[in-house]
Amino acid sequence: MAGRALKRLMTEYKQLTLNPPEGIIAGPTNEENFFEWEALIMGPEGTCFECGVFPAKLIFPPDYPLSPPKMQFTCEMFHPNIYSDGRVCISILHAPGDDPMGYESSAERWSPVQSVEKILLSVVSMLAEPNDESSANVDAAKMWRDDREQFNKIAERLVRNTLNIPYP
Amino acid sequence: MENNQTADSEETKSCEYDPNVNQDELIMAQEKQIAEEIKANIAMVGELDDLSSLEREYSNDPVYFSKVATLLPKFSNVRRTRPDGNCFLRGFIFAYLEYCIYHREELTRFKQYLEASKEELFEMGFPKFTTEDFNDMFMEVVTDLEGSGSIDRVEAIINDAGTSDYLVVYLRLLISAHLQKNAEFFSFFIEGGRTVGEFCKQEVEPMYRECDHLHIVALTAALGVGVRVMYLDRGEGSSVVSHDFPEDKDPVIHLLYRPGHYDILYKA
Repeated sequence: MAGRALKRLMTEYKQLTLNPPEGIIAGPTNEENFFEWEALIMGPEGTCFECGVFPAKLIFPPDYPLSPPKMQFTCEMFHPNIYSDGRVCISILHAPGDDPMGYESSAERWSPVQSVEKILLSVVSMLAEPNDESSANVDAAKMWRDDREQFNKIAERLVRNTLNIPYP
Repeated sequence: MENNQTADSEETKSCEYDPNVNQDELIMAQEKQIAEEIKANIAMVGELDDLSSLEREYSNDPVYFSKVATLLPKFSNVRRTRPDGNCFLRGFIFAYLEYCIYHREELTRFKQYLEASKEELFEMGFPKFTTEDFNDMFMEVVTDLEGSGSIDRVEAIINDAGTSDYLVVYLRLLISAHLQKNAEFFSFFIEGGRTVGEFCKQEVEPMYRECDHLHIVALTAALGVGVRVMYLDRGEGSSVVSHDFPEDKDPVIHLLYRPGHYDILYKA
């Protein structure tokens, strides 16, 4: 079973290298183990995360792509759909029934025809448009709703962190 | 959702409640453990078993016992499938490939159908390279059976997790495509105010989601393969009710339904 998963991950890696989506770099941490990837995600333009380069890791199960990978940011993050330990919580990372958030029926779900690229693109849109209905970080969701100015300030600090630029 | 929360808080009163632990995640972890146990202990499609084994299974259950008795003259054997949410599809593809190795013209027809289905899925917007992966595997299996087709080979293929699961995934895509192509018709049968597209994303395309009437109607219509399902339940009457999918086609596959599960039946 893991053999199929490996073949599929190698194909996906090749695809992502030949045809990288804008603002995303991703691949295995080392070529000995294709089940653990690193990704760098650029904060989307025109949002409070603009210019940031956010590192994350993806861990794939042995039965990938039947089951989805898990994704976790490895830098400090403050966002309604990211747990305080960096784990990403969006609908495409969950199969129906495996649903800690009670996502809306129209939400994009994991199925074996999805891909790493689709996940990363969903994460980029999540950065641009947080979903405060199903929040993994309640404080961030509350601040996003009630005090956008403060939220933007925190985001700017996080962006600077990722670029090693001190916060004034 | 609100109901869930009440149920959660009531349950947690009786056991020690740690507010720092996500209860949903605990439940999911337990479900996963149960699924792992089933995986380790039950073959995806088991060996050919005598139908009298079903009688023994229900020796203490008069309703089921007498209904099984009515199956006995018509059917001789049963193959049990793993109850993992894929049982209908696994049972279907096993029985169908078995039928195909004894009916070579059907195998040829199926191969042509598979070949053509790929382009159709692309046209409907299924992602190309992931869809292709599943189609490739199916073509490989069918080509393999064209050469060395034997029941042993079918058993080996369907019990090889990587291969078997990929076939199940592709059948799910075919069902999804058929439902979406005929969305206007099928939309009347979908519960919960969902669109046909949403239903496919939630109940059809993901693995381990159980197949219901709609899935069966769509798959048998898409492939043009007749399936007869024998319903063994506590419904009224002393005989087992059967239903043919599609209604106008002679069944080449027989499945036994017990609430929530499908196994393969063999005619006497």
